[in-house]
Amino acid sequence: MEHAALDSIQFNEQIQGLMAPAPESTNSFTALLELPPPQAVKLLHSPDKAPTGSEKPPCHASILKPYPSIMSIIDGTRKLTFPSNTALIERAARFSVFAGEGPLAPPVAEVKNEPPETDSNPSSTQCDPAVENKGAKRKEREKKVKARSKKSKSVAAAESSGDGEKLPYVHVRVRRGQATDSHSLAERVNARREKINARMKLLQELVPGCNKISGTALVLDEIINHVQSLQRQVEFLSMKLAAVNPRIHFNLDSIMPNEGASLMDSSIPNMVSPLMWPEIPNNGNREQYQQPWQFDAFQQPVWGREEENTNFMTPENSMLSYDSSANSGIAAVFALMKITNKSGRGC
Amino acid sequence: MRNQRSVKQEFLRKWITGLRRYSCDEKKNMSFLERKKAIKLSADIAMASTRDKTTRWSQALIANASSSGDTLTGSSKNNSSRSRKKMLMMRRRRPKVKSAKKEMSASCIAKRLVEKRTRKLKNLLPGGESIDEGCLVEETLDYIESLRAQIEVMRYLVTASQLIINPYP
Repeated sequence: MEHAALDSIQFNEQIQGLMAPAPESTNSFTALLELPPPQAVKLLHSPDKAPTGSEKPPCHASILKPYPSIMSIIDGTRKLTFPSNTALIERAARFSVFAGEGPLAPPVAEVKNEPPETDSNPSSTQCDPAVENKGAKRKEREKKVKARSKKSKSVAAAESSGDGEKLPYVHVRVRRGQATDSHSLAERVNARREKINARMKLLQELVPGCNKISGTALVLDEIINHVQSLQRQVEFLSMKLAAVNPRIHFNLDSIMPNEGASLMDSSIPNMVSPLMWPEIPNNGNREQYQQPWQFDAFQQPVWGREEENTNFMTPENSMLSYDSSANSGIAAVFALMKITNKSGRGC
Repeated sequence: MRNQRSVKQEFLRKWITGLRRYSCDEKKNMSFLERKKAIKLSADIAMASTRDKTTRWSQALIANASSSGDTLTGSSKNNSSRSRKKMLMMRRRRPKVKSAKKEMSASCIAKRLVEKRTRKLKNLLPGGESIDEGCLVEETLDYIESLRAQIEVMRYLVTASQLIINPYP
């Protein structure tokens, strides 16, 4: 009984692993990683030996009954569809006792007739809407992919090539009728790995200081640090904004329809100004900001040349030509932004 | 490469629209922390929505935010992350059993290091735990870019608002 339970847990994890990857990708290494290769292959090919009368198939049948779509994975005739992970866990957790419920064959036969998506949807009704949202979105994507009928097959290829390679097991989908050619599979795996390597290189270029590092683990370290620091910056900046503005205050009438040069650029000042005026009345602003305008006008020709950071602030001409009261303040705000930008770059 | 400028503009517009909700709905003054969370949340959602839901992390972010509702505490978000952690714990049990039998070769060690880090990266990414290896890299790329744009826009706002209050230091 324990053995069966353990097996079922293993199988659960495998299901999770199989469910986890997005449909357009073809690797589910994590799940198969956890299992030793022979067992993985055995589990995945168990329907071929279907009614052996052993404990395993019935157990799996019992687990998988509410998820005929997953049964189809074993069956290998249909594409994977993924009900949400948490739903599966909840369900699987309830299956503490596995009674042999008959051979694998009948449920498999049922599978072929049922549309997997509609079936997994009701089965996951118990999850919270957010998870279901995710599942729904994933299913939409899957539907597109499903249009091309592919045979699903998993290959537990124990690749230990290269140092620091990430994919010991590769789950590859094979077209119906295409040979389980080790050669073609290897090609596909290689193409996959090339793609991943190319993306890693892009990442390395993006993250500063990663170019000199060699070795996947260290590069990943740097990337992790970078992402963490970016997230921390977001937190910090939002804190700062909250501190600067005693309350979030907006003037709805300042948000005007676009009149200026381009659609985007003129709306930006309108958007910015309400936020920027926490408690100072509009009148007070205008006097304060006369000087920045002149300042701005003086430096305008220089700034006109620069493009990098003043990406969404280049049409200063159009802004400065506004005369409505709201826009004068708005232009002032942008002038201030540019000033700080300018000084930031040490000109 | 996307048009960075339009992305930032769109993000800013959506962010302000989202922030307006807070000022309209609640007449009372929010505490500092609440304000900060409101700002951050609306910024995150705005950033995610500018990606037009083409990426996984953006979907996950929005889903998380919507699951937590309008409450700034996001307690239900913690629940979902807890269940995800449980899933990861169940998975994590396995490698230990397996590695005892395996012989320690350099490639194994390297592989394990990389696994650890990919897992960490997945935890960082919103909605990244149940994600595939190949997509992970793409998602990280995208996420980093969007984060950068978001930070720039926020920084502009911070400096601008500071200067308004205190124009000439």
